[in-house]
Amino acid sequence: MTTQDHILVVDDDPDICTLVSDFLEKNGFKVSVAMDGKGLQEVLSNSSIDLIVLDLMLPDEDGLVLCRNLRSRSNIPVVILSAKGGEMDRIIGLEMGADDYLPKPFHPRELLARVKSVLRRARTQPEDSLESEQNACYRFAGWTLDVPTRQLYSPSGDKIFLSGGEFSLIMVFLNYPNRVLPRDQLLTFAHGREIEPFDRTIDMQVSRLRKRLQDDPKSPSLIKTVRSVGYVFSARVERGEPVS
Amino acid sequence: MVEPDRISVVIDQDLESILPGYLANRQKDLLQITKDLQTGDFVSLQTMGHRMKGSGTGYGLNEVSKIGQEMEEAAKAHDGEQISKLAAELTTYLQCIDIVYKEL
Repeated sequence: MTTQDHILVVDDDPDICTLVSDFLEKNGFKVSVAMDGKGLQEVLSNSSIDLIVLDLMLPDEDGLVLCRNLRSRSNIPVVILSAKGGEMDRIIGLEMGADDYLPKPFHPRELLARVKSVLRRARTQPEDSLESEQNACYRFAGWTLDVPTRQLYSPSGDKIFLSGGEFSLIMVFLNYPNRVLPRDQLLTFAHGREIEPFDRTIDMQVSRLRKRLQDDPKSPSLIKTVRSVGYVFSARVERGEPVS
Repeated sequence: MVEPDRISVVIDQDLESILPGYLANRQKDLLQITKDLQTGDFVSLQTMGHRMKGSGTGYGLNEVSKIGQEMEEAAKAHDGEQISKLAAELTTYLQCIDIVYKEL
């Protein structure tokens, strides 16, 4: 840690903001505070932030969506500090791009240790890891997805159009191949929102994506249905240099 | 009338400057609980319990987190009687604690 490290604490509880900011300041950090998602954006646009301590239950936005959006455009490390402490909550938080997850109630010394640890790890990683992901090309079962151009190529080299939603969905599948992804998780990963009762958005998008991939819906080989759960993308996926 | 036993609580001395403010906020919570029970505002009570649960242990007051958790659950169940009991418990706790600040 250096005395220049600037931490942004995002929490709607003033007592938590006071506790965390005071404790981190006493340990040499510069700290800014935001009480909601709008405040977070304001601080980010005006300051250089080294790490964000993020609550999930904010009054104006879902912290998970904020985390996912942050991760899609920046490498700023995120430590989630949330009362949602269940196993699935932690898994989803980490898979949405958080670098660490500390459930409330918490001890400030443990938070301090985790903040230091995440900052240490962030410094040892190449700064362009996000850029390299956005410049990647995925190959699977003869297909190629060129991420910078969002272009899908069939095994015979034909260009296949993908809508924005289909592109988001296939990116989730390509990042989590050969793994059962529940429908609610797919919706959160691909679109950053929670599933609602009778919500068929994901099923419809999977159906359209299967058509694009010429995957027989009656006997799919790429996107397989896991009954009552969700889907699994069944292919070996390789990541390489972009086509263009 | 029997005086309740004093409760000694050891707190990290790094929290010495902010703990009085935290305890004052809990006194405000007690006033708010009375108002919310009168108006039947269980959403406010649930939020209050949720926040106490999340913050108490951080300030070294595990009992506040415990009472907060129970209050959150009672508010979800619209159980005003239980919330009144928990408010009395919190009142007693705040009256009986002797804070000892130490380097931890």
